Amino acid sequence: MLLQLRNVFKWVQQGGQRIFLLKDINLEVAEGEFISIMGPSGSGKSTLLNVIGMLDTFDEGEYDFLSESVHTLKEKYRSNLYKEYIGFVFQSYHLLDDLTVEENLEMPLLYKKIKGSERKALVADMLDRFNIVGKKDLFPTQLSGGQQQLVGVARALIGKPKLILADEPTGNLNSQQSEEIMQLFKKLNEEEGVTIIQVTHSEKNAEYGSRIINLLDGRKI
Amino acid sequence: MFKNHLKIAWRNLKVNRLFSVVNILGLSIGLAVTLILFIFIRHEQSFDTMYTNADNIQRVLLHTDGDNGQEIWATVPPSLGPTMMIDVANVEYAARTLKNDFGGTASLRVLQQNFTENNLFWVDAELLHIFDIPFIKGQAKGALDRPNTAVLSETTAKKYFGTTDPIGKTFTVDGRYELEVTGVYKDFAKNSTLDCNIMASGITTGFFKNPSWNNASFETYCLLKPNTDLASTELQLQEMLNKNMEKENQWYTFSLQPMKDVHLYSSGYDNAYASRIGDIKEVRNLIYLALLILLIACINYMNLTTARSQKRAKEVGISKTLGSSSSSLVLRFYMETGLVTLISLVIGALLTSAAMPIFNAITGQDLSTDLLLNFEFLISLLAIWLVVTLISGLYPALYLSQFKPVIVLKSSIVQSKGNIFIRKGLVVFQFAASVVLIVGVLMISEQMDFIRNQKLGFDAENVVAISINGIKGTEKKDALVSELKGLGNVSSVSLAQGFPGMEVSGRSLSRNDDDKESLNIQTNVTDASVIDVLQLKLLAGRSLPIFKQEKDTLVEVVLNKKAVDYLGYTPEEAIGKTIFISVPNTIVGVVDDFNFASLHEPIGAYAFHNNTGERKSFALVRYKIAANSTTIDQLETVFKNVAPNTAFEYSFLDNNLEKLYVRERRAAKVGFVFSMLAIFIACLGLFGLAAFMGEQRKKEIGIRKVLGASIMGITQMLSKDFVKLVFIAMLIAFPVAYWLMDKWLSNFAFHVDMSYSVFIIAGISALVIALFTISFQSVKAALSNPIKSLRAE
Ligand SMILES: Nc1ncnc2c1ncn2[C@@H]1O[C@H](COP(=O)(O)OP(=O)(O)OP(=O)(O)O)[C@@H](O)[C@H]1O
Ligand SMILES: [Mg+2]
Repeated sequence: MLLQLRNVFKWVQQGGQRIFLLKDINLEVAEGEFISIMGPSGSGKSTLLNVIGMLDTFDEGEYDFLSESVHTLKEKYRSNLYKEYIGFVFQSYHLLDDLTVEENLEMPLLYKKIKGSERKALVADMLDRFNIVGKKDLFPTQLSGGQQQLVGVARALIGKPKLILADEPTGNLNSQQSEEIMQLFKKLNEEEGVTIIQVTHSEKNAEYGSRIINLLDGRKI
Repeated sequence: MFKNHLKIAWRNLKVNRLFSVVNILGLSIGLAVTLILFIFIRHEQSFDTMYTNADNIQRVLLHTDGDNGQEIWATVPPSLGPTMMIDVANVEYAARTLKNDFGGTASLRVLQQNFTENNLFWVDAELLHIFDIPFIKGQAKGALDRPNTAVLSETTAKKYFGTTDPIGKTFTVDGRYELEVTGVYKDFAKNSTLDCNIMASGITTGFFKNPSWNNASFETYCLLKPNTDLASTELQLQEMLNKNMEKENQWYTFSLQPMKDVHLYSSGYDNAYASRIGDIKEVRNLIYLALLILLIACINYMNLTTARSQKRAKEVGISKTLGSSSSSLVLRFYMETGLVTLISLVIGALLTSAAMPIFNAITGQDLSTDLLLNFEFLISLLAIWLVVTLISGLYPALYLSQFKPVIVLKSSIVQSKGNIFIRKGLVVFQFAASVVLIVGVLMISEQMDFIRNQKLGFDAENVVAISINGIKGTEKKDALVSELKGLGNVSSVSLAQGFPGMEVSGRSLSRNDDDKESLNIQTNVTDASVIDVLQLKLLAGRSLPIFKQEKDTLVEVVLNKKAVDYLGYTPEEAIGKTIFISVPNTIVGVVDDFNFASLHEPIGAYAFHNNTGERKSFALVRYKIAANSTTIDQLETVFKNVAPNTAFEYSFLDNNLEKLYVRERRAAKVGFVFSMLAIFIACLGLFGLAAFMGEQRKKEIGIRKVLGASIMGITQMLSKDFVKLVFIAMLIAFPVAYWLMDKWLSNFAFHVDMSYSVFIIAGISALVIALFTISFQSVKAALSNPIKSLRAE
């Protein structure tokens, strides 16, 4: 079991009223799964993903990640936990504009305090695998959207995470570029056993996964 | 259009609250400082302009060769005044002024009571022709024509005569002159150099009646005929001198100084009696400081505005695509700047009136903010507003209006390298200025400490100087000495003409009477105990003899080392030799050098002698344990026993020495306050900039946090850039500060060496202050929730 959410609630207080963003979420994810989260806009998909990624807190319920109880962990341990095991991919890529492709890839390794020579090797390896060696000295703004997302996925993978969380990774891409990214996810999942949870609006993309979770108003249906 | 611009400007101010507060606060302080200094400078420049004849009044200066090259004295021989009035065609009136006892105090007896008056001047009646001094009682005309007459200022008249009409009443000065009050004049204005409490008719005294071409102790003013050429008048003065003095005896020449320059341009001149002496250098330094502070405040504005330019760029781009011209955009940004500076100016003016008393307390001035309501001043205020708006708005307006819409609208604009460079440069400038100021303040205070702790070669602590001018007759003075010696806490007593820290008589020293070469020497008539009282170090011989016969004309002298060095003797050789200081003197002792003048000057020659020509004006009393009010009470009781009709006036020697550095201490205080303000404003700017950077890099911070960056790491990352700038600022500031302080220290013959520690402390303080300012914003940015910053897409 990679992670388990039990009776998770999340709410915000608005005008003396509780607005529920997540309602009684129960979810088990085994290692090697490829899950797609779907639902209308505002249904809480991103919120759930952020809770899973430990970027966001919740108000009630329990969350175990690799048999650590996340809900009792201090912020510092939590950040060590996700730094170690989780990679994030965003709809708008979120690459750093001031850094080259190579430097962007290197960043997570810096925060994991990995030695320089090892970093170089890992980055070179990743560039090679994603076929972007020729682009390594370019800045993100000099790349197409698809290429940027490729770098985004590479960055998420470089720390050898067990879990990749992707929030509408293809939302800004055309259908051909989407296809490529999805193929890549599928390959990673099948060949390397990386667990993937993605949020998507597209039925077609959701098909790549092994399981679909539907959300409506913060509730699993 | 105009109204629309104004509306947008106001909205921008309200939306960006932090930036508005930082900008307005900084500018308000900068402007308040400028306004205060403006008032101060106007006051300094207004000196002596209230006299109707101000343009035609001149003060006579005397030029002579001193130890350290040319000296200029503000005092001239007494013969000059009356002679120039007759012999120099251009001169209408000339008047001599002599402060009582050549700069000392006067002891008065008025209506059976004793007073000490330290502002009594003996003057020629012509003074009242030259300066139109308004009279309240009696009239200026003829008031001082007769000997033994005097006029009093309004306050002084009230102080001494209370409600009694003083006209026709008499009072006694130093138990010697009886004067009749012939008039009361309005107190001198705050900006008048002339500031006598009592003007007594000079011809009462022998000095005025039998004038000489020596004894250059008379400050002399003259009124020239309108439109007189100064150079030709100075030539006439020289001709007059030639007529009255052999060429080879002329040890001085004269020049004229316009009255309006007297206040600000006399700081280098010796011997003036005026206490209200300004210094154009001080005024200039203050102007530089004020401009610096204002500039730092303007830089805040430029920096914060351009830093925000990325946000504004879109606005510009859109306006441009909608057909707005560059010039219209420049106007719009200037409107915004003008609004900010206007608000700041109003707040600054309020701050000014609140801070004026503080400025007055620090500088010992008595300025009022009334000037702020003056029409002329309001005009200059308008000018200040325009200039500040122009400077602050220049860079933002030009920079922003030049944005190309195409680039701007492509959402991710890369900040131009040049823009960042200029902004960093401005921050560096601010901090460099701050570091220079910190170094300056530290260095000045080190020098002040040095002065306080410097071994002066004598011990000024635990010595009281009691004025004995009012005591007549040797027996009474001797009685005073023996009674004082009888007190338990008194260890020794000496009567002397003066003491270290005050001018005594300047003469010249030579080996033989006919020597062409001579050395200026300060001579102080005193007695045997002086070495004990001052704790001087005797190198050879002994002190002055204890007894001196009434008719004994032999003059004994104790010289300092500098004097015997000049004579070419060792201290031992010097004993018994006869040398010349106006008259033959026999050397009986040699003391080690001591700082009898301020530490600005190198030690010169000094002589203690017992020639009875001059008056001993002080009883110097050394006591055993630190004086308290009982000690002083005891001294006063003894004094009153001996001289019941004389006012008891005393001062502590160490306090008198402190007074030699009033100007430096004031500079130190003003410098300190201004530096703090400058640093504060610079920090405000840094605070705003750091806040902006935090906001601008919000997304980056979010990404980095998601990728595992720690809060500490983010804080460091955000602070690092600024710290780098502070280091660069130090690199620039240190040589500048070194150069400036080296120059300042060279004003002192005795000074501390420039120490590394001052620079290190200044650097560390700047760094700590900057870090503290930045870290607040950096931590805030680092703590921010990454999801929030990343969602904004
Ligand atoms: N901090 C918050 N305060 C108040 N409401 C919030 C907060 N965070 C999220 N929401 C609300 O919670 C709901 C769920 O948001 P969420 O971003 O998870 O939706 P989503 O399913 O990802 O939508 P989309 O498909 O548009 O991305 C939305 O209605 C959103 O407005
Ligand atoms: Mg979403």
